[in-house]
Amino acid sequence: MDEFLQKMTERDYKEGFVTEVEQEYVPKGLDENIIRTISAIKGEPGWLLDFRLDAFRKWLTMKEPHWGHLNLPPIDYQDIIYYAAPRKDSDRPKEIDPALMETFDKLGIPLNEREMLAGVAVDAVFDSVSVTTTFRKTLAEKGIIFCSFSEAVREHPDLVRRYLASVVPVGDNFFAALNSAVFSDGSFCYIPKGVKCPMELSSYFRINAAGTGQFERTLIIADEGSQLSYMEGCTAPMRDENQLHAAVVEIIVEKDADVRYSTVQNWYPGDAQGRGGILNLVTKRGICRGEGAHLSWTQVETGSAITWKYPSTILKGDNSSSEFYSVALTNNRQMADTGTKMIHIGRNTRSRIVSKGISAGHSENSYRGLVMVNPGAVGARNRSQCDSLLIGSDCGAHTFPVIRNSCPSSTVEHEATTSKISEDQLFYCRQRGISEEDAVALIVGGYAREVLSRLPMEFAVEARKLLSVSLEGAVG
Amino acid sequence: MDLMGDHKLDNNYLLEINSLHAGIEGKEILKGVDLRIGKGEVHAVMGPNGAGKSTLGAVITGRRDYGVTGGELRFCGKNLLAMAPEERSWAGIFLSFQYPIEIPGVSITNFMKAAVNAKRKAAGLPDLKPGEFLKLLKEKMALVGMDSAFAKREVNVGFSGGEKKRNEIFQMAMLEPVLGILDETDSGLDVDALKTVADGVNALRSPERSFIIITHYQKLLEYIRPDFVHVLKEGRIVRNGGPELAEAIWQDGFEGIN
Amino acid sequence: MDNCTMDNELQTDNELQMNRVFLIGRDEIPRKVRLDSGDTLSWTLVFLPCAGADVKVDLDVNLCGPGSSLDLAGIYICPTDEKLSLNIKVKHSAEDCSSSQLFKGLAGGCSRAVFDGLILVEHGAQRTKAVQESHSILLSERAVAEVHPQLEIYADDVECSHGATTGFLNEEEEFYMRSRGIPEAEAKRLQTISFLAPVLARLPENLRNEIISKC
Repeated sequence: MDEFLQKMTERDYKEGFVTEVEQEYVPKGLDENIIRTISAIKGEPGWLLDFRLDAFRKWLTMKEPHWGHLNLPPIDYQDIIYYAAPRKDSDRPKEIDPALMETFDKLGIPLNEREMLAGVAVDAVFDSVSVTTTFRKTLAEKGIIFCSFSEAVREHPDLVRRYLASVVPVGDNFFAALNSAVFSDGSFCYIPKGVKCPMELSSYFRINAAGTGQFERTLIIADEGSQLSYMEGCTAPMRDENQLHAAVVEIIVEKDADVRYSTVQNWYPGDAQGRGGILNLVTKRGICRGEGAHLSWTQVETGSAITWKYPSTILKGDNSSSEFYSVALTNNRQMADTGTKMIHIGRNTRSRIVSKGISAGHSENSYRGLVMVNPGAVGARNRSQCDSLLIGSDCGAHTFPVIRNSCPSSTVEHEATTSKISEDQLFYCRQRGISEEDAVALIVGGYAREVLSRLPMEFAVEARKLLSVSLEGAVG
Repeated sequence: MDLMGDHKLDNNYLLEINSLHAGIEGKEILKGVDLRIGKGEVHAVMGPNGAGKSTLGAVITGRRDYGVTGGELRFCGKNLLAMAPEERSWAGIFLSFQYPIEIPGVSITNFMKAAVNAKRKAAGLPDLKPGEFLKLLKEKMALVGMDSAFAKREVNVGFSGGEKKRNEIFQMAMLEPVLGILDETDSGLDVDALKTVADGVNALRSPERSFIIITHYQKLLEYIRPDFVHVLKEGRIVRNGGPELAEAIWQDGFEGIN
Repeated sequence: MDNCTMDNELQTDNELQMNRVFLIGRDEIPRKVRLDSGDTLSWTLVFLPCAGADVKVDLDVNLCGPGSSLDLAGIYICPTDEKLSLNIKVKHSAEDCSSSQLFKGLAGGCSRAVFDGLILVEHGAQRTKAVQESHSILLSERAVAEVHPQLEIYADDVECSHGATTGFLNEEEEFYMRSRGIPEAEAKRLQTISFLAPVLARLPENLRNEIISKC
């Protein structure tokens, strides 16, 4: 297999194109004036500007975290453009620029009425602004609010003000503070009491402009007894320099509500030598506030030069439950440090963690997790399974779980294993006529099946393809 | 039939092995094997443990860790040694593994779909339509007496010894090879399992399909009658004969055969 | 033995002993151990109650020689207010080495038991087999068990795993015993002994009996 492994070629990243569109920018760099400018462009109320400035001041006192098993390159925060948006045609401000329509078409996210994906409402975010949100009327009939974050600030300020930073406080961590200061757009979603969302809601994030970062903010509120399945996707052009993506996602799940949040992360991973790629440094957290609330995270992480991401759940309501299902694949020089935190506060809370890491090339792949059971979480249970698959002998696979249990009636079980694709498995497949490349894709797909099967149907097929494309050159 | 004849190239033979030397990790195991398999023939290769029987199967199918140090291997006149394992498979060689491999998370259906369509692609044919494929799958499962519930099971994961072997025969039925090699397919099977496996193989016998049955015991040969029996000892074929040779071995063991 | 920290110097090879039992707080435990080609080491660490104790044990085992193997086990019982911090690092630097670790413990009162265990498999340490298991049982509302089982792996042909559980005694087991007429306290005692059994079996009889008498 070794000689085969050496046939490293560059991965085919078909989303790596650039859209030629006239953009408007704020000047490069970050200070209070930039923040005031961003806030003014967006026509924000005073309380939100204050929120941003407060976050910025906190951020100034904080240090960039370097505890991850990552080589985070130096980031010059004064060398980033914090706001970039395609210029609107002043005669037709409501219309979507055809170049943007074409971009999303190419990415498989058609935005026009005729071709929209059936059963999936999309909020399409291009650099710092939301281009459009589909199916809004259909959703509004049920009382569901699904719009860009900026619109939510204008049209539903009370909801935004009540929930913003209620799960991820402004000073939670360095990147969350940065996001709170400069966030541009993102999605907002509110599902009213007892409503079962009739379609998948989805956000698609696209970075296009050079020299910029994307700082989206997503807020999801599922009121009592409601149900939602939410999906996010993301891509960016191929560039030789790193680009920063520092998002914050907050999810509030009330009594008996059920939220399934899925991610297929395909940011540009950089080239085979590790040049360029997105630095994906995000904070995602949900709270199961009410009794019986349920939050499920599913992520397929194949992109980004660096991934630093721990979608977490605070299990506050009694009998609430949460799951984290993850596939993280790293190839070439990619580095990922990802996992979850499950904080058990309520009685009889349940959590389940399934993490499948795949490392190839010269990459580093780490699972980092925390399971914390507070003294009052009587009867809490957690089960974690972390598997690592190594492809080639130059990559690393690491598992750093922390279990902190202070409740005698709880059980926490953690298990981790490491394996590789065996010569025997490969030969068996090849003897049946399956080429080495296809055999690896098949075996990796099988390894990740438990996680992939959690994705909504439309995305599971995409995710499977993405896994095999991402392994191109590593083994096949 | 000329079993040990002169080394002329004869395209009438399906498989021709000439003076084959092969081994693993520098240790020679096959020390000059000659064997000719004609169309539709069933050959049994018998021999004591360590004689090189499984090595023969591994070399014909192209396992990377087995090195060929001399001799020739021709299949339908083509040089097998220049072909990748999957190319040998597409050409119609099938090996029923002595120890079938587990592939967690991959269903038998998906595994076979990948295999069947890869073979079709190599032949310039389009993929089978899902409906056609499922029909074929069901038909072949019925042929080897496999419960259709297995279609969704992960390849060999949690299978009993008998289930694994039956799965091998099922895959052979799906891929319709011209040469089936059964490597110790009888090992670890009870009489009932042995019978069903043999029934599966017999159902696949045809004038267009040849078999090499590698076995330690004569038992399987009671159910699958071979046309020829070869005794492999210490890396060489030391005796050739008909079915009666298997019986002689059953009586007297391998000791007396040289 | 309040606030005592083991801090010994590197132990040379010939001091390595087979099947050795260390009583934490009494015996000096080497801080660093090196295993050369073909060495096998089998150690059991025992931490027994000693109210008010605050003990930290750092053990660093490096499997540097091909084919060396480590078999490490530990048992701790913290019934009142003890603090125990076990910090075990097992580094595989050579090929064909194996290591196994098994830790079992009880934490009651307001004690705090922290197990920090790292298995590090270096580049080139092919065919490593490394297993680590740590299981603890909490006996009171105020006790804390913290486990950090870590794997850091830089070779692909390896079989590594860790398993960790923290929790309480199985209620069904207890019910089963009580339904056979065994009083609750005795049932719990039997369960505790059965939980500790795999490590108890490695101890000399007198020590084993001492632990059993404390259950």
